Amino acid sequence: MEQKGLTGIYFCDDFNGKSDAIDTAELMAYAENNPDAAVTWSPSRLPITDPEAIAAKIKEFKLERMVIAGDMPGMVKPVFARAMAAAGNDPGDIILAGFREYGAVSGADTDRAKGVIACALKGVTFGMAAVPEETDVNQDTVIIGAGIAGIQAALEIADSGRKVYLIEKTGTIGGHMAMFDKTFPTLDCAACILTPKMVEIGQHPNIELMSYCEVSGVSGKPGNFKVKILKKARRVNLSTCIGCGNCAEKCPGRAPSEFDAGISTRRAIYIPFPQAVPNKYLIDADSCLYVKNGKCGVCVKNCPVENCINLDEKDETVEVTAGNIIVATGFQVFDAKKVERFGYGQHANVLTSLEFERVVNAAGPTAGEIYLRTLDKKGNYVFPKVGTAPESVALIHCVGSRDENYHKYCSRVCCMYSLKLAHLIKEKLPSAKVSEYYIDMRAFGKGYEEFYERIKSEGVNIIQGRTAKVEGNNGKLLLRSEDMIEDKLIEEEVDMVILAVGLEPRQDAAEIAKMLGISQTEEGWFREADSKFDPVNTFSGGITIAGVCQGPKDIPDTVAQGSAAAARALQSQIKGKIRGNIKDIPLQKIEARAKELSTLEEAKK
Amino acid sequence: MSQRVDPNLMKELESYGVKKKDWNACFHCGNCTAVCPLTEQGSMFPRKGIRSMQMGLKDKLAAGVEPWLCYYCGDCSDTCPRDANPGEMMMALRRWLTSVYDWTGLSGKLYRSKPLHLAVVSFLFFAVLAVFFIFAKIPLLSDPANVQLNSFAPVHVIELADHIMLAVLSFFLLSNMLNMFIKVVIKDKSVKIPIHLYFKEVWLAIWNFFTQWSFRKCEGKLYWFAHLFLMLSYMAMFSLIVLFLGWFQTDTIHPITHPQRWIGYIITAGLIFGSLYFMIGRARKKDRKFKFSHHSDWIWLFLLFMIAITGILIHIFRINGMAHLTYYTYALHLAFEVPMVVTFVAFSKWSHLVYRPLAIFFANLKKSTLALQKNR
Repeated sequence: MEQKGLTGIYFCDDFNGKSDAIDTAELMAYAENNPDAAVTWSPSRLPITDPEAIAAKIKEFKLERMVIAGDMPGMVKPVFARAMAAAGNDPGDIILAGFREYGAVSGADTDRAKGVIACALKGVTFGMAAVPEETDVNQDTVIIGAGIAGIQAALEIADSGRKVYLIEKTGTIGGHMAMFDKTFPTLDCAACILTPKMVEIGQHPNIELMSYCEVSGVSGKPGNFKVKILKKARRVNLSTCIGCGNCAEKCPGRAPSEFDAGISTRRAIYIPFPQAVPNKYLIDADSCLYVKNGKCGVCVKNCPVENCINLDEKDETVEVTAGNIIVATGFQVFDAKKVERFGYGQHANVLTSLEFERVVNAAGPTAGEIYLRTLDKKGNYVFPKVGTAPESVALIHCVGSRDENYHKYCSRVCCMYSLKLAHLIKEKLPSAKVSEYYIDMRAFGKGYEEFYERIKSEGVNIIQGRTAKVEGNNGKLLLRSEDMIEDKLIEEEVDMVILAVGLEPRQDAAEIAKMLGISQTEEGWFREADSKFDPVNTFSGGITIAGVCQGPKDIPDTVAQGSAAAARALQSQIKGKIRGNIKDIPLQKIEARAKELSTLEEAKK
Repeated sequence: MSQRVDPNLMKELESYGVKKKDWNACFHCGNCTAVCPLTEQGSMFPRKGIRSMQMGLKDKLAAGVEPWLCYYCGDCSDTCPRDANPGEMMMALRRWLTSVYDWTGLSGKLYRSKPLHLAVVSFLFFAVLAVFFIFAKIPLLSDPANVQLNSFAPVHVIELADHIMLAVLSFFLLSNMLNMFIKVVIKDKSVKIPIHLYFKEVWLAIWNFFTQWSFRKCEGKLYWFAHLFLMLSYMAMFSLIVLFLGWFQTDTIHPITHPQRWIGYIITAGLIFGSLYFMIGRARKKDRKFKFSHHSDWIWLFLLFMIAITGILIHIFRINGMAHLTYYTYALHLAFEVPMVVTFVAFSKWSHLVYRPLAIFFANLKKSTLALQKNR
């Protein structure tokens, strides 16, 4: 048997100093004590500016293989490839030990990072050495979030004959998609394609819909989770409420309607929207006068069903068991107030795209007519029942996205939904002047480029140039932009500005991640096991993610991911076994397995 | 018109303080141009300048006046979605343009090398002190209570030295200005400026020079005030020393109501306030425009500040009859003054005093010409 050449290890990242990061010093000490590593280098000991210098070092230590360890070691691989070639070695003998690739991202994962290093030094793939044990799986599934991703996953699993607990925080399922007017690029009515699915959820024998509920704790192991669910007091009996609406008619409590993105008001006892599932009323404790002052009860008097409304109902916690958990918690839109120079919140007619979706929706506060927002007597911005239509509307792309000051990433859907909104304005107000200001037009999906061409041909002014500011000017709004294509400065006066706000992780995403033991990306999205080949699994066994909570995506991709997550759950349910957590495998076991595998490899040769 | 592409332009610009991270980052959204309060139709910056930089269009950049139109409020850098610091790129372009106009090549050397600039300044500093040490008649002026500044440094000698310096530096500065005129106006074949416009627009240029009126559109009135106060004080001091030294440097101590004294106080206040404002800003690095400082910025501010401080000290010592201290401080005062004037007037930061108004003048000329052509 040929004597194996020496291996050197190079740490390309230094995490020390970052909070909650992998301890690089500890990893280096581990590598130095590992008999498989002949020499341990780091940028401070060996700068990676000059491949020749590295080659000289490789020769000096008579190395034949190099392991590059770090967050993204592939970034420095080219330098080492040249160095290895210059030292007379095979550049193919560079082995990457990428911590991030195997989910070692925070200080708690230092042991896993050690395992990755141990495997790389042995020349074994980490995934081969670190195989979690399989355990029996509970056949039930918990799905957190009942937007379109959760709905899709729930239906896939329930249709296969397995039980699903679908947990929704708000009073209705449907999520953001239910708020949209149309969907791009086909211009289907969003409600028309979504509500049948919502109704199916409500009626499915295998789905236990738990609306107005929140997951408050998760314990147990993959295959057998115990999920604590907080049932918030709805104060209306779900089984006896007939949805007549008498209770709301005289209700004195008012709050901005969540479903209308805050542009209209609803009562304290309300139904989120007419097609809500479950189609039953609920009481919002924050705006209910009885809950606040102990005096009112008008709804109880008006309710035709006896004992249907119980104003003194308290929250309760239930526990369910499940083998798999699918996380589909979605997103929130970027807070446009943060970009002060766009004047959101200062000018009545600077709207976010989500608000405008409700304006243009036939079930919205203006019954689908596009009117200018005005001030009411109390000084609040309101949409009148009958008002004046804007003569000119401008849409500003990338609000909060692709911006180092806010979110660096592209929110992916804004270009297309802005085009859709432009189309809807043109459809309803053919004589209105509609302008779109974009940085780059990202029409990335099937039929999207064609959609873009179609909107262009409809007479929308599509201008390449990010708008820098929106200023009030005698009741109008003055925009300033540089037109890249025409090479001119544009100062346009419009009646209404729509800000294409980006998507961002929900405020409570970190809380959920902590509760479930899954990790988040820098931006706060939930981290998938592999961005390409494993886009729905997490590093925690039995927990999959679907929809925008994993990263910005449009409806088709969200639906696809919902199905994919369901497939993962079903896979384990059909097999009856589920893989445990990588993080539960002790380091010694990984080391031993790596040694075993490498001996096998040697023997094969 | 054909454009020559210079692949090494970026390397050159980087030596003037453009950061590779910055010019690489720009994705051309146009935010900087649109957010700038000074841009208007036909004079659009900074994005187009960054485009030219990225593409290596050296001649186009050299013929442009846009960097001079910017007063660096920092709005563009603050709101840049790529954090590309367009404002700082404009600043670095101004340094580069100064060296482009300077046919001697000295400017580029001073800008590119901090050690060289420091060495030249130090050499001149000690040379001036040496001249005083060798030629001044300190032993003769042994009466320590009677300040005879005009015997220590006779007005006519200093004035002669002033005038020689004025002549030499004016020659360089004027030839650089001419160079700028050729690059910006003569070589630009797209506009032919009618002669009468020069006379029409020159008044606006002078108005702009003395008020920096367009600067007022920028964010931050204190910034405008500090800049203007410093500039006007400096101009006043400059003309006093070069043209009216005999009136300014006297052995008789005038009463406080005499214009020689209160004019001197106002000027010094301007110099101290202005240079302190900029130095504190640059040291704190909090404000976007002060975040990055080139060595020329620091040397310039330090010398200005020292000139003002030594000026005050001369005055205090003179009034109090402290003869020797007056002479030494006077020598120091000139030792700070000479390197500042020699290295900065024609070859570095000082010259923006003339380039900027000239640039505004040229830009307005082109704008008016285009307006004339349109009306025809």
